Amino acid sequence: MKKLIFIVFIGTFSFLSLSSKETTAFESTYEPGNSGDILIENARILTGTGSEILSGSILISSNKIKAIGKTLDKPGSTQIIDANGKWVTPGIIDIHSHMGVYPAPGLRSSSDGNESTSPVTAHVWAEHSVWTQDPQMPLALKGGITTFHVLPGSANLIGGRGVTLKNIWSRTVQGMKFPGAPYTLKMACGENPKRVYGGRNSEPSTRMGNVAGYRKAWIRAQSYRNKLAEYESKSEEAKELEYAPTRDLELETLVGVLNGEILIQNHCYRGEEMAVMLDIAKEFNYKVTTFHHAVEAYKVADILAENGVCAAMWADWWGFKHEAFDMVWENAAIVDQANGGNGCAIIHSDSSVGIQRLNQEAAKAMAAGNRAGLDISPSRAIQWITLNPAKALGIAGKAGSLEVGKMADVVIWDGNPFSVYTKTEKVFVDGVLLYDKDNPLTPKATDFELGIINSEGDRL
Amino acid sequence: MNLNKKVFIGLLSLLISSFSLSEELLLKNAKIHTATDRGTIEKADILIRDGMIVRIGKNILSSRAVEEDLSGKVISPGLIAPQTQLGIVEIELIPETRDDRSDIYSAGLSIDSAFNPSSTLIPYNLTGGITLSLTSPSSSGLFSGLTSAFSLSGSLEESLISSNIALSANISGGEDSMAAKVMLLEDSLKLAALTDFGQSPFITRGEIQNARSKRNGVNYYEIYESSLPKEVSYSARDLIALKRVINKEIPLVVRANRASDILALIDFAKTNDINLIINGAEEGWRVSRQLAEAEIPVILQPIDNIPNSFNELGSRLDNASLLHKSGVKILIGSHETHNAYLSRQGAGIAVSYGLPWEEALKGLTKNIAEVFKIDKRGSIQPGYIADIVVWSGDPLEVTSFVEQVYLSGESVSTKNRSMRLKERYISQ
Repeated sequence: MKKLIFIVFIGTFSFLSLSSKETTAFESTYEPGNSGDILIENARILTGTGSEILSGSILISSNKIKAIGKTLDKPGSTQIIDANGKWVTPGIIDIHSHMGVYPAPGLRSSSDGNESTSPVTAHVWAEHSVWTQDPQMPLALKGGITTFHVLPGSANLIGGRGVTLKNIWSRTVQGMKFPGAPYTLKMACGENPKRVYGGRNSEPSTRMGNVAGYRKAWIRAQSYRNKLAEYESKSEEAKELEYAPTRDLELETLVGVLNGEILIQNHCYRGEEMAVMLDIAKEFNYKVTTFHHAVEAYKVADILAENGVCAAMWADWWGFKHEAFDMVWENAAIVDQANGGNGCAIIHSDSSVGIQRLNQEAAKAMAAGNRAGLDISPSRAIQWITLNPAKALGIAGKAGSLEVGKMADVVIWDGNPFSVYTKTEKVFVDGVLLYDKDNPLTPKATDFELGIINSEGDRL
Repeated sequence: MNLNKKVFIGLLSLLISSFSLSEELLLKNAKIHTATDRGTIEKADILIRDGMIVRIGKNILSSRAVEEDLSGKVISPGLIAPQTQLGIVEIELIPETRDDRSDIYSAGLSIDSAFNPSSTLIPYNLTGGITLSLTSPSSSGLFSGLTSAFSLSGSLEESLISSNIALSANISGGEDSMAAKVMLLEDSLKLAALTDFGQSPFITRGEIQNARSKRNGVNYYEIYESSLPKEVSYSARDLIALKRVINKEIPLVVRANRASDILALIDFAKTNDINLIINGAEEGWRVSRQLAEAEIPVILQPIDNIPNSFNELGSRLDNASLLHKSGVKILIGSHETHNAYLSRQGAGIAVSYGLPWEEALKGLTKNIAEVFKIDKRGSIQPGYIADIVVWSGDPLEVTSFVEQVYLSGESVSTKNRSMRLKERYISQ
């Protein structure tokens, strides 16, 4: 009897942990160092909220933005940085990265980004593959990236959970996890799943096979959720007499989506497929947060805007696949301006080269829009790589813009960030200066880089 | 119109055209980046006659030229893409749209007959500012094949500018030791040196006999059979291509990044007395003095600073600048064929890391034409072909656009498929 009580206790405990929204394992242990008080003054500020302050100041205190405006009081012990009229933006956020899971050097031994062994692998989590010593991360920091979202690859219909990380040096992935960021779920449309599995003569081998695969997975998720709800609705006495349903890692994640706790990040190139995915979301009553690699988003920009779905796009990548054949340079601008300027456009990288200069990618897309008469201002375009990805990752309450109370993720640029010649001068993550162009010891080298080319040198 | 009238008008227009003065075009008031030692000239004019540049200077007058006022605009030579698959690849992941690989031929693969001037990538990259592509096959073996230069005019008859002007090779990748590949490079060239196919890739028994007697009984065909490792065989076409490298008619372009590999290749080029170009050279900055001394040019993709393999751990964004300072000739390209024109973004990044702007422009134009011996192209100077791009601003700046392109002095369409798609959807 004692044994039975024990087992019931364990069962109840595991169910409670599941239903308590946050899974207790793998929690963020990130804690920023002491930022002190820093006043950046005489800066041309793109706030990320859509406005620009021509000569303004930002006060950082205890890792947060304490004040922003034209002129600010200087508390006693404040360190003052004169930006000399240079541009300041929020820390850049890349919503599509594989840093850590496809690290450099690109070796098979650390190529851990895609569990491409089954079309639905909702049970895998990208964070369990992250190599924190990937030398691509400090390179991205130099490009102004303060937060990035790591996704599993796109071979699968449902590829697993993504994770949002702060771009800091850490020995553990938990030490990089963005505190309180919701989990995400990677899904993929189109060519990749059907090529990978069709190539093995298994399902899916067509786009209709893809869609059947998603729907079958959601049907299983609904039934699992019903099973959980049925158990939950029982009286305490009844619960003591039976085991809680066995945990199912795959379906837990899918139920998390149905419950609105896990955000769908959906790799999808074609307009038709985006429209179909939105109908699947309606059928099963969940929300698609973002379509990634949305090369054809411009064809369905109004539909995306009506449904409140973001499109994450490249400025100009095309032609590597058939579904990437219809690229237009104005894609982001058209998405942005849909339904009277109510679209949600994001520029993403999916590349360790591109992540180092999302500002230039946004610049290209902005310029293309302006040439087509769409009137995109720098204060608008900066949102494509700051506030909009923050919204799509569910962290806009904490990051993505320079607003009081938010994390002090701040970049000082040596010129107009929408130029090929502009580089970052200083990058703050939670108010801590992690890159300073005048300090060759920043960004902190990864373990991998130490002593490789020159054991006496600073980096490499 | 009756037939007689037609014939009469036809004859008349033939007469007029043959007696009329040559065509002149005068581009006025532009900021001109010449990519020569004259550098940049503010608010200047270019006079073009019969597709050739005649004069560059201030206030040029011509009584009969068609004038274009380009006030506020920027002119550069048409950009040249140094290593692409433009015209031989449509969609990367679809093999049946690719003509850039062969298992049958290696060094001797010439892609001229596969080049498709109507590929969608051609008007697209023309719109990006590229007027000439050095198109190369990309087979993964030791030798990829021969590079040819094509105009991006889209012309079915006249795209080929210069045929089989370089041979590409790879020494990285695969399971074999780098050393084995350098040895095979050397053995292959030595074998080719012994062959004598004349003009024909085919050899008859009689010719073998003939060669035997000429060479005092040495049968080079037998040497061929016994001199190479078992797995390696070359067709006559392959050997002819290799022989052109030995004879210094064409350069050998070898993809290499690691500093020690570059040194090994410099040594190899000296020993075998060939013209070498290094493609990649991500750790070139570590051996820049040796590259400069050996006068070996490098093709860089300066946007790429990722330590993608253990052969490029020393990759860095100021590589172009450091190499230039040491006196190495820099050619600037892109890893991407579809977006080959983004070499200009890489050039801009190299500038932000210390490469002088004028050198970056030469790296996209003049240096490529010089190194690959493409006559009368790559810079704006009298006597040169008028392949000219008009920009909205700084050609290296990401927010600048191509406004007009002249190929041999003719204004060409800068519309492409992507723009048609945009026009269809932007108004919806």
